[in-house]
Amino acid sequence: MLSIELGDITIHNIKQLKKINQVVFPVSYNDKFYKDVLDLGPLAKLAYFNDIVVGGVCCRIDLTDNKRRLYIMTLGCLSAYRKYGVGKLMLNHVLDYCEKDGNFECVYLHVQINNDVAIDFYKKFGFEIVERKEQYYKRIEPADAFVLKKSFEKK
Amino acid sequence: MPSSNPLPSHEANLFKKILKCYEQKQYRKALQHVKEILKKFPDHGETLSMKGLILNYTNKKSEAFECAQRGLKNDVKSHVCWHVYGLLQRSDRKYDEAIKCYRNALKLDPANLQILRDLSLLQIQIRDLEGFRDTRYQLLQLRPTQRVSWIGYAMSYHLLKDHSIANNILEEFNKTQPKTIDFEMSELLLYQNKIYQEAKLFEKSIKHLDDNKNFILDKLCLLEKKAFALTNLNKNEEAAKIYEQLIERNPDNLIYYQNLEASLNLNSIDEKLNFYAKLSEKYPRSDIPRKTPLLFLSDSKQFSSYVEEYLKRSFRKGITPLFKEIKCLYSEETKWKIIESLVVGYATCLETDNKFSNDSSQEEPPTCLLWVYYFLAQHFDYLKQYAKALVFINKAINHTPTLVELYIVKGKIYKHCGKVYDAVVCLDEAQSLDTADRFVNYKCSKYMLRASMIKEAEEIAAKFTRETSHPAEYLKEMQCMWYEIEAANAYRRIGKFGDALKKCHQVERHFQEFIEDQFDFHSYCMRKMTLSSYVDMLRLEDRIKSHPFFYKASKIAIEIYLRLNDNPLKEMGAELDTNTENLSPAELKKLKNKQKKQQLKAQNEKEKQQQLEQKRKELNKQKNKEDSDLEQPIEEELLPEKLERPENPLEECNRFLKPIEEFAAQYPETHYLAFQVYYRKNKPLLMMKALKKIKKNSNTVDYLAKFHYCACKFLLKYEKEKCSYNTDVLGVIQNELKHLELFGQSVEKLNENFLSVNQNNFESLIVGSKILYDLNPNENQQKALDLFKNISKENLSINLITAIDAFRSVAENHYFGKCSKEEVENIRTKLKEFFTEATIFKTPEEQANDLINCVQGLSINSFVSSVNNDITDQMTSVNIR
Repeated sequence: MLSIELGDITIHNIKQLKKINQVVFPVSYNDKFYKDVLDLGPLAKLAYFNDIVVGGVCCRIDLTDNKRRLYIMTLGCLSAYRKYGVGKLMLNHVLDYCEKDGNFECVYLHVQINNDVAIDFYKKFGFEIVERKEQYYKRIEPADAFVLKKSFEKK
Repeated sequence: MPSSNPLPSHEANLFKKILKCYEQKQYRKALQHVKEILKKFPDHGETLSMKGLILNYTNKKSEAFECAQRGLKNDVKSHVCWHVYGLLQRSDRKYDEAIKCYRNALKLDPANLQILRDLSLLQIQIRDLEGFRDTRYQLLQLRPTQRVSWIGYAMSYHLLKDHSIANNILEEFNKTQPKTIDFEMSELLLYQNKIYQEAKLFEKSIKHLDDNKNFILDKLCLLEKKAFALTNLNKNEEAAKIYEQLIERNPDNLIYYQNLEASLNLNSIDEKLNFYAKLSEKYPRSDIPRKTPLLFLSDSKQFSSYVEEYLKRSFRKGITPLFKEIKCLYSEETKWKIIESLVVGYATCLETDNKFSNDSSQEEPPTCLLWVYYFLAQHFDYLKQYAKALVFINKAINHTPTLVELYIVKGKIYKHCGKVYDAVVCLDEAQSLDTADRFVNYKCSKYMLRASMIKEAEEIAAKFTRETSHPAEYLKEMQCMWYEIEAANAYRRIGKFGDALKKCHQVERHFQEFIEDQFDFHSYCMRKMTLSSYVDMLRLEDRIKSHPFFYKASKIAIEIYLRLNDNPLKEMGAELDTNTENLSPAELKKLKNKQKKQQLKAQNEKEKQQQLEQKRKELNKQKNKEDSDLEQPIEEELLPEKLERPENPLEECNRFLKPIEEFAAQYPETHYLAFQVYYRKNKPLLMMKALKKIKKNSNTVDYLAKFHYCACKFLLKYEKEKCSYNTDVLGVIQNELKHLELFGQSVEKLNENFLSVNQNNFESLIVGSKILYDLNPNENQQKALDLFKNISKENLSINLITAIDAFRSVAENHYFGKCSKEEVENIRTKLKEFFTEATIFKTPEEQANDLINCVQGLSINSFVSSVNNDITDQMTSVNIR
């Protein structure tokens, strides 16, 4: 009876993503973030649990240092709906995207160092801690972040 | 085409061409031919008339009339000229005039089919049923081979309720018709059957249905008709079989279930339970067989187990309107108490371990708890336990902040507390979460109107209106009446009576339009054979003004006219002085500056609107070129400044009062309004009639109080004026007064008694104090006001709407004459004890603050820089309130 699926983000429902991010993440994102999300296409999705929005994922393509990498900006799910596979669905969507594309060197993201649940979650999908960035966050404690990365073999 | 003024052959041919072009809508070509004829014969009547007719279709109204008139003058012996003139009158909606013209045309050419047809259309439009019948008879005589002739004639008798002749005509006609299997034959047969059933010839109806079952293509209608007839003949077993088939076709139609249950003659609860259990098994997706037992079960244990199953299933499935579905059970206290204890229990258990109960093994999805919270919020809101309702809705929002419905319910709870601005904030939030949802958009706009935020409401509504037109204009075009009614209320609240009346008149015009819109269907339906629906439509149109929208708009309009009658507005421009008496020079200067700014702004707005209007007109022009069939008469523009200064406000009421007296007679409020109009017109018999009707339709405390009010007012007036009534009138009134046990009663005593009997009832207190005041305005003002001083939560229950009405009456409408500010303040604080959170009972400063906070947070203003301007505008309106 459970149905979990992804849906597009549009100008009409963007505020639902904002709601999710507001309660899931300790950092808040500015208006520009949400404006840009609208242009991300398949790189930004909402997750629906029995037709209710409970999660969202937003990524962007990072081309710095002459590399092509995918950066996960946000991936979150309302606390009441965790452990039902919502996060898995979103992350698999991202990984599928990378695989289909075939030209990404890796996918990476930042996690607050004390967020064990998130770290365990990503590790299950083959992510590894590759770096510790000190004073990464401005207004939250602890301010340090781990960089989690999953590399792809070039085809 | 015989004419008293024949043309030579060349021109006669041209004239024929004109007719042809006209029929084919080639208006420009037709006009060229007209020009050619008129060059040689500038006074030729029929040509002039045709010119008029064509011009009418190309939207040159005044010129058209002129031509047609000249044409008729030049050739009064021509049926063409009369016919054309009639057509023009018709397009101007002057039906009586048009009929006269057609009749003149027929005198000159009695067998003219086209004119007869046009005449019959008008007759049915104005429901001259006898005239219609006679015309249809003539048409049948002239064209006995046409199907439409027969059917039209039969229908005329049907509408006159002469079923047997109608049947005879159709039966005769059918004898001559070969039976074909097609839609039209099927519709004709069903229409014939409809007449049988209306004549209560059920045996015949069934036989007719059986004989023709292969020719009736609408199987659903066939089954429904047959079941209905069988039920009426008490052939329950047969009827039951058909109802079973019907449920099979559509397991979600409540009426089928009810009829099936009735025809099976189930008596005991167990029989019924068994019956619905079987159906529930057969149609697992239908809600009806599961829900119905909840209605008739009276044993609380049994009810409890049934409702438990029903609720759990709904929570699991996430049935959003669950509360609405079972609200009907709340009339029984035992039932809602059981529901409450069950659902509160679910909430506790789900919170701890995701199960409905501790001993359950099944784990539920997280949405279950969400829907349980959502349900409980509505439950406690319904029971007026608003604090508890808020607790649950906030829990739900914490649980799932993305669910739009939660904010709607939260807004509703605030609305019930009277917190109008908080309600707006919630609805705006809901709206912003899903801006593609038209329902939420409408709700938000409506809540804004309830808070008198007209500009904001318009802006929100504009998200779903056409960009090229002004939202209010578009909503009018779309006949969006909920909006117009709420806007009328909002305008009235802020004292813009003209704008409020404009909205009411718009609603009235929509209804007029509905009636006009029938016209095209008279010929269309007859041709397309959709006869049953056509007759249903005619009957609907006959009662169209019984619609609640019409009633609501009428009530507002009449109340405003009464107010304008008692307290007319000053002449235009003079209104500036009204509020300036108590202002210091500095304040006055400020006010004047503000007014100047407002005027400037208004002008800007107006210019913008005019530009838009211009655009729209151009668009329309283009449209008209494509579709030149547009022949609507131009209506007088509704100007707020003019509307709020009527010459005779009481006469203006008629347009609204007469229809509601006819179509909304079941509401005591109708007669209460009527009484107040007739009281001011000093019409004793009409007053008495209204008084009697209030009595007859009143069973709530509210209207018993209103009856008392009207009775006292009547007696007071009667004592004063009875010498001027003529003896017949006096006799009737005295007689009626005796019937009502009012004859010879002293109003003072009546009122004293009324007040002492109804001490614990606020509605009665309001009315009693008003009469007390009216008995002697100079002496009793204080006494009347004092009656409010002693009310307290211990001895009185008040509903919010009554309290608001009462407060407005005293503060704004001089219910007790002019009261000092302190007295108004006293009543405000008194009522605040009952509704601590209601916006209206807060101080003006608090209200202004609330409004500012509300407006600043709105989604529409988050990107707008001119927020501050808007707020100052709004604040003035708060202060006026």
